[in-house]
Amino acid sequence: MSYGYGGYGGPPAPPGYGAPGGYGGGFVPAHAPPPPGADPQLWSHFIAVDQDRSGAISAVELERALVNGNWTPFDLDTVKLLMNIFDTDRSGTIGFNEFAGLWKYIKDWQNVFAHFDRDRSGTIDEQEMRNALGQFGYNLSPQLMHLLQMKFASDLRTTGRAANGISFDRFVRACVVVKQITDSFRRLDTDRDGWVQINYDQFMHTVLSLP
Amino acid sequence: MYSGQSGPPRHHHSHGSHASGHRTTVQHHHQHQQPGAPPGADPQVWHWFAAVDTDRSGYITANELQTALINGNGTRFDLDTVKMLMKMFDTDHNGTIGFQEFTGLWKYIADWQQVFLRFDRDRSGSIDGRELTEALRSFGYNLSPPLLTLIEQKYASGPTSGYGPPPGITFDRFVRACVTIKTLTDSFQRFDTDRDGWIQISYEQFLTMILSTP
Repeated sequence: MSYGYGGYGGPPAPPGYGAPGGYGGGFVPAHAPPPPGADPQLWSHFIAVDQDRSGAISAVELERALVNGNWTPFDLDTVKLLMNIFDTDRSGTIGFNEFAGLWKYIKDWQNVFAHFDRDRSGTIDEQEMRNALGQFGYNLSPQLMHLLQMKFASDLRTTGRAANGISFDRFVRACVVVKQITDSFRRLDTDRDGWVQINYDQFMHTVLSLP
Repeated sequence: MYSGQSGPPRHHHSHGSHASGHRTTVQHHHQHQQPGAPPGADPQVWHWFAAVDTDRSGYITANELQTALINGNGTRFDLDTVKMLMKMFDTDHNGTIGFQEFTGLWKYIADWQQVFLRFDRDRSGSIDGRELTEALRSFGYNLSPPLLTLIEQKYASGPTSGYGPPPGITFDRFVRACVTIKTLTDSFQRFDTDRDGWIQISYEQFLTMILSTP
């Protein structure tokens, strides 16, 4: 599988099928000379995203740079999720070192996305989602799978009761949500009986901490 | 401890005719005469229905709705809010909004506009942390300060930059935040049959509650 970037120093973008900046979604390709000392490809992408040449990527710049396979911008909640994870010094911006982590994270997710988008539709349908979560070790009931698919489907068109596909940005967010809920539940379920006791404040905190 | 007995929005404003001129509105694309208003239809609501129904099919698709709904700062409503509205008002589940359904949607948005205007005290066009706290308190939710901070950050219309407060909450996300808090509180209360503020739930129930929020 390939997540080719068309940018400087990168492999050519896969012809025909595929996405701006990588399979399923990713950065808009860039053209810029690599300065000495830095990974040239990474640096070229960094300065392409850092449009005002401030040396750091703002949330707005990140939002502008991240697009799905169909060129729709990443949804705000996914951009906020990424900022939360990678703005490790809480400066409100992404420096070059933080960008390296973000870059790898997105590339890894592109590979995951490409792997599970079996029918090469550019979105993840319910069966593909089931396969992905199953592989990650989450076995959700059919009812939950359907709720999840409805919640994260990217297309507003509804065809009967079937949920539509999930684009790259929302796929990442859906997977992070399932992981985070499951982790929180396990932390609360100290006696491992599958049930938790939780008060209102804890409950709201757990849910509203989700991306 | 929760005390959210009644959910927003409260309907103590007259409704129906505030179409535009406020911060959030249905975007008016085309000024055209639309024939065939159903008998008894509110002319203004019909007028807006026709304006949103850009292909004049007689019903509003989700895409038409998303194109029509804009925040005070000109941004489109976010996808999750549009999906929430479709889910609420596409009552016959045919994937589109007919005129009758639109009447309900119209009133709902108009009511929320009033709520938004009432709490946007500084007229900034977005709801900041203090305004959010006041709004949620007035709806009957007594949430802890850390929880309020979390909600402010989650629904802010951008990430928090540096050490300042997060950006304000735009109309679309404000409505979604309030509906989410109401939905979560209601489902918690349904489980809390002895009203002691604690519930016992399984993983399946927990996930169902969460994934049912908009």
